[in-house]
Amino acid sequence: MDKVLADKKAICLFVLPAFLLFAGIILLPIFVSGYYSTLQWDGIGKGIFIGLRNYVDLFQSNPDGFHQSVGNAFVLAGLSVFVQLPLALFFALVLAKGVKGENFYRTVYFIPVIISTVAIGQLWMKIYHPSYGLLNSLLTWVGLTNLTREWLGRTDNALWSALIPVVWQYIGYHMLLMYTAAKSVPTEIYEAALIDGASATATAFKVTIPLIMPTLKVCVTFAVIGSLRSFDLIYILTNGGPVHATEMPSTVMFNAIFQKYMYGYGSAISVFIILACLILTIVIQKGFKNRTNLD
Amino acid sequence: MRKVGLRVITITLLLVMAYVSNPVIEAAKPKTVTLKFWHLWTTPAETNKVAIDQVLANFKKAYPHIKVEVDAVENETYKTKIKTAIAANEAPDVFFTWGGGFSKPFVDAGKLLDLTPYLKDGTSKKLVGGTLTYQTYNGKVYALPFALWAGIMYCNQSLFEKYNVKIPGTFKELLAAVSVFRSKGITPLEVGEKDRWPGMFYQNILAVRTAGTKLSNNALAKKASFNQRAFIQSAELLKQLVKAGAFESGCLGITRDESEANFRLGKAAMYYNGSWVAGSLNQQQAPDVYGKIVARNFPVVEGSNGEPNGFLGGAVDAFAVNAGTKHPKEAVLFVKYVAEQQAKIGYQIGALLPAWKVQVDESKLPELTVQISKLIKGATGFVLAWDTFLEGADADTHKNLVQEIFADMITPQKFAIEMQKLNSKK
Repeated sequence: MDKVLADKKAICLFVLPAFLLFAGIILLPIFVSGYYSTLQWDGIGKGIFIGLRNYVDLFQSNPDGFHQSVGNAFVLAGLSVFVQLPLALFFALVLAKGVKGENFYRTVYFIPVIISTVAIGQLWMKIYHPSYGLLNSLLTWVGLTNLTREWLGRTDNALWSALIPVVWQYIGYHMLLMYTAAKSVPTEIYEAALIDGASATATAFKVTIPLIMPTLKVCVTFAVIGSLRSFDLIYILTNGGPVHATEMPSTVMFNAIFQKYMYGYGSAISVFIILACLILTIVIQKGFKNRTNLD
Repeated sequence: MRKVGLRVITITLLLVMAYVSNPVIEAAKPKTVTLKFWHLWTTPAETNKVAIDQVLANFKKAYPHIKVEVDAVENETYKTKIKTAIAANEAPDVFFTWGGGFSKPFVDAGKLLDLTPYLKDGTSKKLVGGTLTYQTYNGKVYALPFALWAGIMYCNQSLFEKYNVKIPGTFKELLAAVSVFRSKGITPLEVGEKDRWPGMFYQNILAVRTAGTKLSNNALAKKASFNQRAFIQSAELLKQLVKAGAFESGCLGITRDESEANFRLGKAAMYYNGSWVAGSLNQQQAPDVYGKIVARNFPVVEGSNGEPNGFLGGAVDAFAVNAGTKHPKEAVLFVKYVAEQQAKIGYQIGALLPAWKVQVDESKLPELTVQISKLIKGATGFVLAWDTFLEGADADTHKNLVQEIFADMITPQKFAIEMQKLNSKK
């Protein structure tokens, strides 16, 4: 069998089906989207070639909250990297160090990842509901009536209310990645640190975190890209509203294509999302490389 | 050894592929024809669902050789699904659609079967006059309507009696009622503005009251300007209602379903929405308010040139036939049957107002349906909900503009100017 796998032709043969599948499902649609984005097309009839006008519209004269949506996506990316990941890392390190009921906590933190997003959306809608929601009821109960508000129904606080569940949902996911990485650090290293008299905090910062850097890189990349294309929870919670306050690039795209019959314009947004994801991935990779070099 | 190994693998792969792609020999075809049918009623809470189930069961008995495969998804999902299916040429043989702007791209792309030749057998005479207007494109009929709808002001009479408030007939009385209910902690007017169209209804009917149906229709058809006093006033009045606390301040985050549940629980005094709401205000689904709801016209605006008896509504809900259907004869037979029967049975149980001249025992109709029929008999004109009249992006822009009124982010003047921009472009 080793000999078979050493043969270039055999490798091609085995890789080909997966590659074809990948190309057909991922690469081809990306290129087709690129083509569609140059059309003025309602998705049903014939499209008219208009060059880059969709992109000009996108960046210059769009009334559909696209600019806001990009800003929102970056707010979410910031929250993910600076709130979600540190929390996940904290939980991961604490759990990996071995606390009582490690398995139990690990499962609990991971539950939001397993539950379907629709269910989570419904759950949080009930938490935020202005008249019978858990949050407002709780605030009223403890006497903070002046803090109760329409969490998802006001343009000034809807974004934060909608982003909290998004950030919350994936803490467990990142925690699990980091936890697994931390667990795979050889125990000898911890023992050595212990013998040298390193405190738990020092061990975490000087030993564990540097050693799981590759995983952290993956987590940061996932968090940033996930923020840029985040769709499902926002769609359920607010559908981009009220008045575009919580719009994400992908909700703008969805509405352009399916509500407004603007297939070409929507495709331009999808191309923007793809490019933004690619560029940010490269930037993050570069950023991490520079840091490792400095060390 | 290496080559043998490779060959074994290759041959095995080939055999597997050959087996998989070997066409299954089809069983002898029965003579029955199978039609695919899509609609958007998913729960019995929508009385239309009750009606369509009965219609389909009757059809099965009457035409055993036509098998109907039904698929249904919820309203907003349905819009996406049917558009995608039509674009991909995977639409079912017969399906629910909306006339006006919604179906226009389908017609333009030649995806709907022209029903005109099939209606000459007397079918068009069975329809209520004028109901084909929004299903007609370039003089040809592309879908059969089954229901008329009209915007109705539902008032919870027991709340009005409890707080000694007069059911408003004018806008001033409406404002007075709003302030009383607001002070008692009762939602004066229900709206689920997260879905955007329920709020749009309020602006649309106010425009009927300030501008009238004729001017509204002309403006929508780009024959008159939105940027004039009457339409500015419609936005002003809506803004006045918002400022007076007529709607829940959280309404921008509430769906139509949630808001309607509130109304059915008797927590709101008034609700302006389509006549279809009447169907769900029955004893099982709305025990708290059953028998206490009265149907009224939206209040008149004093000192304006609008129409007091103009209605928001029309005949848009329809069934269409896919132009690419393999069984056009059966599909047309089915669509005629379903449209007429849905109109009849739906009317009987209070789900809709029929677009067909149907014979039913009027004494057995639900009380609310009788009230609504009476109101509509006095109708002087109809305007479609603006998002059905307008197409795609324009409809979306309009709903966003109304939402901005609810969020207090736009002035009435700006609203009218932005609406007129839709007319002046192209």
